[in-house]
Amino acid sequence: MSERATSSGPGRVLIAVYGIFALSATARAAVQIAARFGEAPVAYLLSAFSGIVYILATVGLAGRRPWSRRLAWTAVLIELVGVLAVGTFTIFDSGAFPDDTVWSAYGRGYGFIPLVLPLIGLWWLRRTRASVPP
Amino acid sequence: MIVALEIVVFVALGLLAVFGLVITALNRPPDRAAKIVVGVAVALLVVQAAVAAVRVVGGVALAETSTFLIYLAVSVAVLPIATQFATATDEDSGPTRWGGAVIAVGAIATAVAVVRLQYLWDARV
Repeated sequence: MSERATSSGPGRVLIAVYGIFALSATARAAVQIAARFGEAPVAYLLSAFSGIVYILATVGLAGRRPWSRRLAWTAVLIELVGVLAVGTFTIFDSGAFPDDTVWSAYGRGYGFIPLVLPLIGLWWLRRTRASVPP
Repeated sequence: MIVALEIVVFVALGLLAVFGLVITALNRPPDRAAKIVVGVAVALLVVQAAVAAVRVVGGVALAETSTFLIYLAVSVAVLPIATQFATATDEDSGPTRWGGAVIAVGAIATAVAVVRLQYLWDARV
């Protein structure tokens, strides 16, 4: 079976959710960094980082260039590692981040969508890739 | 913000989300009727944003004015973009059933933005 575009069919729904997270995480980080960077610099830089990861994942999933799929794989894997690492860290050491980020407590502030989204993303990337002929 | 208008906006967004999911379940790509339904919701959001913006410019002091204005813009912009994406051609075969689900995602995200707007509005100084 040949490769299927990641932006086809239900992939659109996934891209829509990624796009919304890209927008909200980036906008939130921009406001936080512009208005009160000194209060929680690590948390705000992490928000900005997560926003960039979501943007790259959105671009990778929506694009059809040769590098799109690799970009999507990389961004979604970083996203999964990020939400697991930051989630675990914030649970065991709640004082480390004075202000919440998208990934704090595994994305609890966002209905745990940040935890589920990379899993669905990886599943979709795997599902749509070209299968190796036997 | 105006409470009555906000309730109408919420109901409209809820109906829009259900509508999107239903047309996906029925295997129907978004058509002209879907665009009209989205248009009604967006019109309500534009009225809400205009009223809120006028009141902020008119001197209502908020704790986080810039954040509030960003959410206002987001509340108006998400649905038209989502609908454009939902009705765009997929693999050269026209929009698919999944367009409705994309519209539903846009409606839910917009509803979240409106909730955030209400929080920020309640934090008047």
